[in-house]
Amino acid sequence: MPNIDPILISDLTLDYGGGDLVLDGLSLAVPAGSITALLGGNGAGKSTTLAALLGFARPRSGAITVCGIDPVMDPDLARRRMAYLPENVALYEHLTAMENAEYLLALSGERVPVAGIEDALAAAALQKRAWHQRLGGFSKGMRQKVAIAVALLREVPVLLLDEPTSGLDPRATADFNQLLIEVRARGAAVLMVTHDLLSAADIADRIAFLEAGRVAYEVAASGAERFDVRGLHARFQLTAERLAA
Amino acid sequence: MSVVTLVARDELRMMVRNRVAMIGLALLMLLTLTAVLSAWMYQRGVSELRARHAHAAESTFDAQPDRHPHRMVHYGSFIFRPLGPLAAFDPGVDAFTGSSMFLEGHRQNTANFGDVRQSSPLIRFGQLTPAFILQAVAPLLLVFLGYGSLARETERGTLRMLILQGVARGKIVTGKLLALGLVALIAGMPAMIGLAAIAVRQDTPALPVLTIAAGYAAYLALWAVLIVLISAWVRRSRDALLVLVAIWAVSTILLPRAAAGLADAEIPLANRLQTDVAIGRDLRAIGDSHNPDDPHFAAFKRSVLDRYGVSRIEDLPINYKGVVALEGERLTSSLFDHYAAKSFAAQARQNAMVDLAGLLSPAIALRAMSMAAAGTDLDGHRRFLEQAEAYRYALVQRLNSMQAQDVSYLDDMATDPGADRRKRVSAANWQEIPDFRFAAPDGATLTAAALPSLIMVLAWLAVALAMLALVTRKLGLRR
Repeated sequence: MPNIDPILISDLTLDYGGGDLVLDGLSLAVPAGSITALLGGNGAGKSTTLAALLGFARPRSGAITVCGIDPVMDPDLARRRMAYLPENVALYEHLTAMENAEYLLALSGERVPVAGIEDALAAAALQKRAWHQRLGGFSKGMRQKVAIAVALLREVPVLLLDEPTSGLDPRATADFNQLLIEVRARGAAVLMVTHDLLSAADIADRIAFLEAGRVAYEVAASGAERFDVRGLHARFQLTAERLAA
Repeated sequence: MSVVTLVARDELRMMVRNRVAMIGLALLMLLTLTAVLSAWMYQRGVSELRARHAHAAESTFDAQPDRHPHRMVHYGSFIFRPLGPLAAFDPGVDAFTGSSMFLEGHRQNTANFGDVRQSSPLIRFGQLTPAFILQAVAPLLLVFLGYGSLARETERGTLRMLILQGVARGKIVTGKLLALGLVALIAGMPAMIGLAAIAVRQDTPALPVLTIAAGYAAYLALWAVLIVLISAWVRRSRDALLVLVAIWAVSTILLPRAAAGLADAEIPLANRLQTDVAIGRDLRAIGDSHNPDDPHFAAFKRSVLDRYGVSRIEDLPINYKGVVALEGERLTSSLFDHYAAKSFAAQARQNAMVDLAGLLSPAIALRAMSMAAAGTDLDGHRRFLEQAEAYRYALVQRLNSMQAQDVSYLDDMATDPGADRRKRVSAANWQEIPDFRFAAPDGATLTAAALPSLIMVLAWLAVALAMLALVTRKLGLRR
C-alpha cells in the first residue's frame, strides 16, 4: 500500500447549493507528524475545508481522503481516524469534566483509564478542583481545555483544529502549543485553522493561505529556519485587502 | 457498553439529574397507583352494590303474593348490569350509559342511573382511571421529558460532537429512543401491574388482558418515537416542545371530542321523546285489542277461534285475554326491536365514524381498543340491552302464558266479590321464573372486537418509525 498523507485534498470544488463555489480547486496535503496552519480571510473557505474533511459538506468534484478513507462515502469510519477541536466547544453541562471526557471517549471506542483522563486534563491545564464539577459554570477557556483533553486522548492519526486557542489565556495557549508539538511527535497530522499568525508561525511546519476557495500561497519551514513572520503578515494583509475589495 | 447503551444511559442520567423530570415521573406513578387503587375499589363497590340491588329486586319479585299474572307484568322487575372485571382498568361508557333497567310489559325502558347524569360536569372531562392516565397524562409527561432529546443536542452543538466521535446517526437516535422507551415503560408499569392484579384476582380471560397490555405498550412506544422524531426534525428545543404539546392537545383532547361531536351532528340519534312519539304512532297503526272493530285484532280473533274450532271466545280452552296479551306483547316488542335496531344502527354508524378518526388520532384508536377489550364499549352496553330485552320479553310472555293457561276467561271477566281471588295464580310461580343473568362475552370475542383498533395503533407506530428512519438520515446536516 503506498504511503499516502493522512490528509489529502485534490482539486476540490464545493458549493452550498447557491451556485457560488466556496472551495474552488483546493489542493492540500498534510503529512504524518506535521502541523499545517490554514490561514485566510473571512469566507476564504477555511471552515468549509474542515467541514469537507469531517464529512459534513459534500464536494461537487475533486478528491478528499482521511487516512485513505473518503469522508463523503464513509463519514463515520473517517471520523474514527480524526479528532476535531472546534472554536466553540459544545460539551454536556449536566456532566462533570471527567464524565464528559469518559462519555465522549467511550463513544469513540477509546478505553482510557480514569488516571489517563486525569493526566490529560492536567496536561490541558484544567485546574484539578474543576475535574469533578459540572460544566454549567465553566468559562469558555475551561471548556476548551476539556475538549483539548478529549481530542488528545483519542490518539488518532489526524487532528483538526478550528481556532483552538481563541478562548485561552497566553499561558494556556503556550501549554496548548506544547501539547500540539507532542502530538506531532507522536506522528499525527495536524491541520489548524487560525487567525493567529504568530502562534502558527511558532509551531506549524507549513502555512497555507486560502483565497477564494483555493490555496493561494503555501510556505514551509525548513529545518531550524522558522518563518519570516513580517513577510507572511504583509502577505496575509494583502490577501485580506484583496478579498475585501 | 455499546454506543446505543451509552447514549441511552447519558440521556437517563440527564433526566435523573433534572429534578423537575424526576418529580414529574414520581407524580405520574403516584397518580397511576392512586387511579389503580381507586378504580379497583370503585369497581368492587359498584359491583357489590349492583349485586345487592339485583338480589333485592329478585327477592321482592319472588316474594309477591298470589296475584293475577298481568299485575305481575306491570309490577315488573329491576335488573342491573354487572361490571366486568376489566372495567376497573377502563370503565369505558359505563358512567354514561346507565346501569339499571326496569323491565315491564308493553314498554321497553332504557338503562338509567349513569354516574355522569348524577355527578358534576367535571366527570365528563375524564375520570381518574388507569386507562385515562395512560391515554392522556403519560404521553404529556413523556413529551416534557423527551422533547429536547435531540433538539437540545442540535441546539447546543453536542449532536455534532457525538457525530464527530464516529457515532452513526442511527445509533444516536436509537439510544435516545431506548432511554425514552425505558421511561415510558416505568411510567406505564404501575398501570400494567394494576391490570395484572385485576386480571389475576378476578380470574379474567388472559387474551383481552394481553391485548390491552400490547395496545398500551404500542401507544406509549408510539409517543416515544413521535417525541424523538419531532426532536430530531426541528432544530430548537422550544419548537419541539410547542409542536409536541400541540400534537398532544389535538390528538388526545380535541380530536376525540370533535370526532364524537361531528358524528353526532352527521348521524343524529332520535331522543327518547321522539322515539316514544313514533312508537305511539306505530302502535296506533297496528291496532287496538280493546276495539272490537279493529281490523288486525278482529282477524286475530277469527284465526284463534278457527284454530280451536269454536265460534265464541267463551268456548276456547284457553283464556282469550291472555292470548291477546301474548299477541299484543309480540307486536309491541317487534316494534320496540325495530326502533332499537334503528338506534343501534345509527350508533354503529357514529362509532364507525369516530373509529375512522383513529386514522387522525392514535388516542381515538387506543380508546376504542381499550374499551372493546375491557368489554366496556357501546357494544358491551348493547349486549346488555339485548340480553335485557330478551329476558324482559321471555318474562312478560311467560306471565301472559300463565294468564292464558291458568286463569279462565270467565274468571278473568268476572266482577263478583270472589272473582279477584279466582283470577290469581300461585306465588310459587314467581319463584320458578329464572333470574336475569348477564352472559359476559368470552375472551376471544372481546379480543376480536379490539383487534382492528389495535392494528390501527400498530400501524401508527410503524409509520412513525418509518418517518423517524427518514429524519435520522438528515440528522445534524445543515438545512
